[in-house]
Amino acid sequence: MSSRLLNQIGLFFAALVIVSPAILFFLWMISLSLKFEIDNGAYPPILIPERFAWSNYVKVFEENNFLLYLWNSVLVTGTATLLALLIGVPAGYGIARLKAERSAVVIMIARMTPGLSYLIPLFLLFQWIGILGTLWPQIIIHLVVTVPIVVWVMIGYFETTPMELEEAANIDGASSWQVFRLVALPIAKPGIVVAFILSVIFSWNNFVFGVVLASRETRTLPVAVYNMLSYEQVSWGPLAAAALVVTLPVLVLTMFAQKQIVAGLTAGAVKGG
Amino acid sequence: MASVTINNVQKAFGATKIIHDVSVDIADGEFVILVGPSGCGKSTLLRMIAGLETISGGKIAIGERTVNNLRARDRNIAMVFQNYALYPHMTVADNMGFALKIKKADPADTAGRVRNAAGILGLEKLLERYPRQLSGGQRQRVAMGRAIVRDPQVFLFDEPLSNLDAKLRVQMRGEIKALHQRLGTTTIYVTHDQIEAMTMADKIVVLHDGLVEQIGAPLDLYDHPANLFVAGFIGSPAMNFIAGRIEEGVFRSAGGLILPLPAGARPADAAGRELVYGIRPEHIRATAEGMPGTVTLLEATGSEIFAKVDCAGEEISCLFRERLPLRQGAQVRIEVDRICAHLFDAKTGRRI
Amino acid sequence: MSAIAPERTGATMQAIGESQTIRLAPNYWPFVVPALVVVGAVIVFPWAFTLWMSVNRWTLGQSRSFAGMENYLRLASDPRFWESLVHTLTYTSLSVAAPMFFGTVAALIFDARFPLRGLLRGVFVMPMMATPVAVALVWTMMFHPQLGVLNYLLSLIGIPAQEWIFNAKTVIPSLVAVETWQWTPLVMLIVLGGLASVPREPFESAEIDGANAWQQFRYLTLPMIAPFLMIALIIRTIDALKSFDIIYAMTQGGPGTASETINIYLYNTAFSYYDIGYGSAIAVVFFIVIVALSFILLMLRQRSQWIDAEGK
Ligand SMILES: Nc1ncnc2c1ncn2[C@@H]1O[C@H](COP(=O)(O)OP(=O)(O)OP(=O)(O)O)[C@@H](O)[C@H]1O
Ligand SMILES: [Mg+2]
Repeated sequence: MSSRLLNQIGLFFAALVIVSPAILFFLWMISLSLKFEIDNGAYPPILIPERFAWSNYVKVFEENNFLLYLWNSVLVTGTATLLALLIGVPAGYGIARLKAERSAVVIMIARMTPGLSYLIPLFLLFQWIGILGTLWPQIIIHLVVTVPIVVWVMIGYFETTPMELEEAANIDGASSWQVFRLVALPIAKPGIVVAFILSVIFSWNNFVFGVVLASRETRTLPVAVYNMLSYEQVSWGPLAAAALVVTLPVLVLTMFAQKQIVAGLTAGAVKGG
Repeated sequence: MASVTINNVQKAFGATKIIHDVSVDIADGEFVILVGPSGCGKSTLLRMIAGLETISGGKIAIGERTVNNLRARDRNIAMVFQNYALYPHMTVADNMGFALKIKKADPADTAGRVRNAAGILGLEKLLERYPRQLSGGQRQRVAMGRAIVRDPQVFLFDEPLSNLDAKLRVQMRGEIKALHQRLGTTTIYVTHDQIEAMTMADKIVVLHDGLVEQIGAPLDLYDHPANLFVAGFIGSPAMNFIAGRIEEGVFRSAGGLILPLPAGARPADAAGRELVYGIRPEHIRATAEGMPGTVTLLEATGSEIFAKVDCAGEEISCLFRERLPLRQGAQVRIEVDRICAHLFDAKTGRRI
Repeated sequence: MSAIAPERTGATMQAIGESQTIRLAPNYWPFVVPALVVVGAVIVFPWAFTLWMSVNRWTLGQSRSFAGMENYLRLASDPRFWESLVHTLTYTSLSVAAPMFFGTVAALIFDARFPLRGLLRGVFVMPMMATPVAVALVWTMMFHPQLGVLNYLLSLIGIPAQEWIFNAKTVIPSLVAVETWQWTPLVMLIVLGGLASVPREPFESAEIDGANAWQQFRYLTLPMIAPFLMIALIIRTIDALKSFDIIYAMTQGGPGTASETINIYLYNTAFSYYDIGYGSAIAVVFFIVIVALSFILLMLRQRSQWIDAEGK
């Protein structure tokens, strides 16, 4: 019995060691964001300052139009995710039922393609249409990220839901659309949640599309944070605070929906090979 | 309610033919059971009737209407699946009312019919539960309730009892039978359990490798099997088969065992041909002057004794109703009831 | 139909079967079509367009003219491209190897049961979910030669201060460290999924046969999770090749061009110099590199399969 306990303690410390880079990083990030310039420039570095610089956070929102960028991020991620769910969930269903492996390959190629190679032609296209100053270019191009995620996760889910239920609904007189809406969709709800979460996270985090397509008014948060770097002469406190603000929603989501994310990524990744 | 006509139906998946040529006429209100060994195409045939599989050739009609090109949802049939296929996200009541909801029926009327069906099946207390909160037998009943509420032209069952334990199976067998007597709906029921077939059916269809071996009433099949396959498939323990030929007015096996010709057999028809003699274990008696043999296996269940007896190199299964003082290895004399014996052509398998 | 004699029904079977398939089976294409249209517009169209642009002489703001293979030939003799290819391959091989090793170790740990396992796993997964740009900014501060916390930590164990991403020699390993920090969790999750699917019985029988822990790992665990390791390897390779956010946010390919990968070079060509034609040619070649590497790995994967059933 006691050797099992020792074993468990050993494993716990091994896990602690392997998790420590993550823990230390985020601790340091918080520490940076809560210190005044003097403390951030101190040597040896200070982990917990005597006075907390909450003003760093206030500064982030006051000086950089951060609320606008936050709103942009919400709009881009929200719209791109909802559109992806709208077309991706039925598509996942159709592909799973048709056993259309080839459509799935298209999705796989989308994953292999570097984001930048979409950017050149779509950039030109948006320029011609003349929507470059709006959020639409970013919303549309974020579909490159969100649609494959949603389709991929949903194929996995619909493949595991039993065909018999849908046959029963067929016999009960339901049309294909009714079968989908009344039987397949409600059963796949956990899958939709997973698809939603992953889509939100990867769309929210996206940087490369915004850096090319966003103008001053249409920046999303990752681009805004990056731009702070060039404007403010390395003022670490507010910069770290801004970085934290950007990534906080995602981290909170990760903590709360850990199970779904792990399930979705494992399933998606395993299928993705 | 309606009759069902299956006319020269065939089914192929790609290049593999599963159903070769099946024709069955099912009268209005009849309880028909499809039996056959695993993989013979029972489910496939049933799914073609339901409209879940396309029909590769031939014709299926429900009532007057040919349904080959009709979608499942337009056929007005109900089906109970082997693992019930209950909608996991709906309550029992919603499960049972689903088809009516799709038809946009009056909700009050639906509720009434659901309550009525629940009453018949003893589900009144479970209407608000979800399928995961039910036992296997209860789920089975909900699946049936879902079918009843529809008031369809035909009930289809695909091995509905195979997921239940033995005792529940016997009970549900009775309930399904009673339900049929009460509703009188035409029923097609698939099973590979020949006891189910014998006890429940008005008519049994024996399928084998995508062909109909025989169609008939249960006792008909038992008493007059058309061929070796049906003879061996119906009845438990299985019929004894002894190979041999007719010589001088008696049946003689290769090992020299002599058996009396079945009543009604005309030796002239079979003279000189390779034959198989069939006799059911329960039609063999132990007598003082029968053929001598050695008991090689003995199983007593209390109500009967099952024994294997070696007679001139042939191992013969016997089922004795009386308590005989038998021992393994002991000598016994047995006699077959020639009224119940059969002769089959060894080549074609047909009964003579 | 009824007029047809039984022996002829066989002949008509094919035709009937086909005409009915369409009518009876539920039609699933309407579910897929909207997505196909969107994917076509957002993924396939850019591809076609990129191919076309790559055979044109075209700098934004100037006139376009057909160039044939010129851009590709220029690529072949462009030292900066070859340099970026070397950087990409170095960066990729390191950023695959390190996360594969640490991720597998982490998966073995998290496969066991111990207190606070769920919480620690949640924290462990966080780096890969965090916004890469935000992460990159903080790492940049930590790498700072004078004020960075990393040099302070090194000084505690007596290692002299490093210049990290500010020195051409150490920039790629430093970036790889960040990439490893961020993407080890994905490898861990995939391998963990593999470990979960490993049956118990062989280990029990190996235990009885007297195999020690290392032998059990080497001869049982490793072969059984090999398909999952291959999947992790493929995904990691693709992602590392494509890596952009971290490199761009931290060094923009610098100092000089010391950390310029193909992806960064592509970005600079297309969006700093606005040389769209040449940039497209780089994009095409880059994509071919990714597909070729993935294909090689996929072939290896076929070989590493321990049971056919795994091949979904
Ligand atoms: N979709 C399909 N594609 C190809 N072959 C199939 C398909 N469905 C069934 N089969 C084959 O058709 C044959 C008959 O299958 P079916 O399910 O009708 O058997 P069954 O009589 O119901 O058997 P069981 O008693 O085991 O349920 C089997 O050999 C099966 O492998
Ligand atoms: Mg079956």
